[in-house]
Amino acid sequence: MNDIPAKNTTPDSLPDSGQVLPKKRFQLNSRLGRSDRTPLAIWFWELDRVLLGLILTLVAIGLIAVAAASPATTLKQSTAAVTIEPLYYFYRQLGWVIVGIPIMLVVSMLPKEQARRLAIMGAVAAIILLFLVPIFGKTVNGAQRWIGYSFATVQPGEFLKPFYAVSVAWLLSLRVKDPSLPVISLSVVLTGIIAILLLMQPNLGQTIIFCGIWFAMMMVSGLSARLIAAVGVGGVGGLLGAYFFYPVATLRINSWLFGGGEFDQVMFAHKALTGGGLLGTGPGLGTAKFNLPEAHTDYIFSVIGEEFGLLACIAIALVYLAIIVRVFLRLLDEEDNFIILAVTGLTAQFGGQALINMAVNLQLFPSKGMTLPFVSYGGSSALALFCGIGLLLAFTRRNPYLDRSHYISAWPEKGRIAV
Amino acid sequence: MTALLANSRKVQFSGKHKDVVANAHFRLIILLLVFLGAFTVIAGRLASFAILEDAQPSRTTSAVLVPARGDIVDRNGVALARTIRGYAIRVIPARLLGDKATLSRQLAAIFPDTSEADFLATLTSERPTYLRRRAMPDEVKQVHALGEIGIEFPREDERLYPQRDLAAHILGFVNADGEGVMGMERALNESLTQKSLRATPATLSIDSRVQAALESELNSAMISTEARGAAGIILDVKTGEVMALASLPVFDPNKLRKDTIRFQTNEVTQSVFELGSTFKPFTIAAALDAGTVTDLAVRYNAMEPIKVAGFTIKDDHSQGRYLNVPETLVHSSNIVTARIADNLGKERMEDMIRRLGFDERPHIELAERGHPIWPKRWGRVTNMTIAYGHGIAVTPLHLASAYAALVNGGIWRPATLLKVAPGEEAQGRRVFKAATSARMRQLLRMIVSSGTGRKADAPGFRIGGKTGSAEKPSNGGYNKTSLVSTFAAAFPMDNPHYVIITMLDEPQGTAETSFQRTAGWTAAPIVHKVVSRVGPMLGVVPDEHRDVDVSELTPLLWSPKG
Repeated sequence: MNDIPAKNTTPDSLPDSGQVLPKKRFQLNSRLGRSDRTPLAIWFWELDRVLLGLILTLVAIGLIAVAAASPATTLKQSTAAVTIEPLYYFYRQLGWVIVGIPIMLVVSMLPKEQARRLAIMGAVAAIILLFLVPIFGKTVNGAQRWIGYSFATVQPGEFLKPFYAVSVAWLLSLRVKDPSLPVISLSVVLTGIIAILLLMQPNLGQTIIFCGIWFAMMMVSGLSARLIAAVGVGGVGGLLGAYFFYPVATLRINSWLFGGGEFDQVMFAHKALTGGGLLGTGPGLGTAKFNLPEAHTDYIFSVIGEEFGLLACIAIALVYLAIIVRVFLRLLDEEDNFIILAVTGLTAQFGGQALINMAVNLQLFPSKGMTLPFVSYGGSSALALFCGIGLLLAFTRRNPYLDRSHYISAWPEKGRIAV
Repeated sequence: MTALLANSRKVQFSGKHKDVVANAHFRLIILLLVFLGAFTVIAGRLASFAILEDAQPSRTTSAVLVPARGDIVDRNGVALARTIRGYAIRVIPARLLGDKATLSRQLAAIFPDTSEADFLATLTSERPTYLRRRAMPDEVKQVHALGEIGIEFPREDERLYPQRDLAAHILGFVNADGEGVMGMERALNESLTQKSLRATPATLSIDSRVQAALESELNSAMISTEARGAAGIILDVKTGEVMALASLPVFDPNKLRKDTIRFQTNEVTQSVFELGSTFKPFTIAAALDAGTVTDLAVRYNAMEPIKVAGFTIKDDHSQGRYLNVPETLVHSSNIVTARIADNLGKERMEDMIRRLGFDERPHIELAERGHPIWPKRWGRVTNMTIAYGHGIAVTPLHLASAYAALVNGGIWRPATLLKVAPGEEAQGRRVFKAATSARMRQLLRMIVSSGTGRKADAPGFRIGGKTGSAEKPSNGGYNKTSLVSTFAAAFPMDNPHYVIITMLDEPQGTAETSFQRTAGWTAAPIVHKVVSRVGPMLGVVPDEHRDVDVSELTPLLWSPKG
């Protein structure tokens, strides 16, 4: 504590001859230093830098994984006439990352009110687009999920996820201010509409994620334990209903339960995942990955398993877990109800998606069209994720000195006594 | 009032707010535990894959770096056996969509060696079957073009012998499960399949160029003499390394067929023969060693056949006079050799034969080794017949190792098919005195320069050797017209480096051999041709100005005046 003022006075006390050089050093020291009062520096010190570091780690892992998986997909998509370059998806992903990271950083710089406003407007826009999908949407692989033209083709469902989480959090947080508002019914209606629109595409995976986000937020917002149990039973009932009345789900769950035979994607995924042993075959040396359907998206975890080994898979799972634990622990001394709910929703979306994707790869869950956040290739999903994590970073930003525990303030006493 | 109301509301609100937040924190911890539990399940599943299912890097990927079975190369690194990823063609009848009769007709058109009916039987059977265990990419392409989803093309490890039938008897082959069943594939099966060893190829002692020359010369001789078979071996006398080993006719280990199964016998290491006169130098050497012959000029009676215990020993080309030791070898006299062996005595003769390793299977890595036929009773007559190579049957490899000991200074060493690093040759055991070995070099050289082996001489290569034409046993006696013609030689005789044995099984007299079947006319010329070809490859430079000094022995050869 004592040497900080000493440092600040150094340039003044120096003789004139050596003034230029120390001044420069002082500026460098102060750039993003604790004494820097520029908005950028304040943002930097308020940001959860550990969380940002973990996210960037995932992005880096994702680039390597897409580079490994890209040849498997391009080989399948190449025809006699058209040969797709093996690293096509890697270069595309690199492009998405280059676009996405600035988006994430800019979103994370927004003040909380502006971030909330952005999310609510985004949610409204995405829901409108979602309504337009059945009318103008494009059909890929038998599912009508896309809307737009050429490079501006997007999946509204992907973008809706983070915006939905923040919007519902805002809705639920209103309850505290005015208990008379029917926020729970409103959120149920909103979620129901989205679920119906998604099931029409059909997109069971996204529906489950939305329901999961809603359920996590309802839980944290203080729904009674009895209601939570009821919703849980309802969820299981819904899945059973889907199995019996929703053909896509019937097919997927059947092949998961009873095995789809020797050449089923479940079997291929298992062969790839275990094909590399603990340490993997080495980058580019995998062969089982070439049998995988959607190696660069849904089954990228299996590609990682083959080329980088099961230990790498465990490490990736731990990175996801670390992100979730980091965010939740930070929420434990957060007082703002809206922020708690919004961050819970965003994390539930991120963590749930990662869990389901890994569980599908590990045959713990019937196969879903679900990407592994930041690792799988994806345009819409990558941008939506960067947006969502930008919101997460914005909401977890806090002045490191504001909420400092009063236990810490006792320490300088000793120093003062010593002086 | 309003202020008070507002204030009280705020207090109320903040109290409720605290409640809500505390509850939220409690629920957050529960949610966190749910996530922790789910990730534990994921990590546990991954760990169970790694431990319980024992996930290993799959064979297909490791084959990129380490072959499933190690390569075999010759001493210069030329690939003799490799493992490649080949194609198989497999049919799963349950999945066939098209008409099976049409399909079998189309398949028969692609593979003319299998009939349409055979294909139809395969296609209509219940279980998935291989149509072809190994198929060329071209054939795979044609079958693929039939567009039948019930036919698949699994990539399988395939043992390839890129030199085709070269050194087939040395290499042997593997069965469908990839286990060596013959030759070095069998002998080295352990180290070829062991994970830590198979990355480095097994290096054999043979030189594929020498092997090719030996095989080609033996083959042309076999054809021109209309022989049933031929065999040959070239051995390094100092290390025991086999430089070439050929048994003809050959088979192709890439494509094993029923009609070539009988050719799989390795005539050099498996079949035993009475090798006849090629044994005579051993008798002479043993006599010199034991001191029962001290003066090469002493003459022995070869005027008439010897009759011992009702058995007659006679010469094929009787000189009708007394012969000294050099003349005995040069004219290949059975009578004199028998007399010398008789003087030597059966104990010392048998001891020498045993020390040359003739009483056990030949020493080499191969599993295909024939046991010599040892005489039931080593009596006086047996002793005399063995002296000129009858009454005992050994493999050509036995003979090669014994000749190596005869010329290399007297040390017998086991033969080996693995490359020997300099200074690491087997210990060996002394069979002959060095002086005896030096004398034998002169005598063997004289047989080629002026005796029965003249046709083996290759200018400048200083070849020395001994012919052997043994009648094959049949119906309890010997058949005068079916011979095993052998020539056992070494070169260069002034400092022997290699032993070469050539053998023809039942050669016929043809115009080329002046209608002679004997070794001097049939087996000896092969040595001349082979040595002329392989000498420079083996580092033996032809030099007409060098030779072993035989001037002290030349006067002992009598020649008619004129």
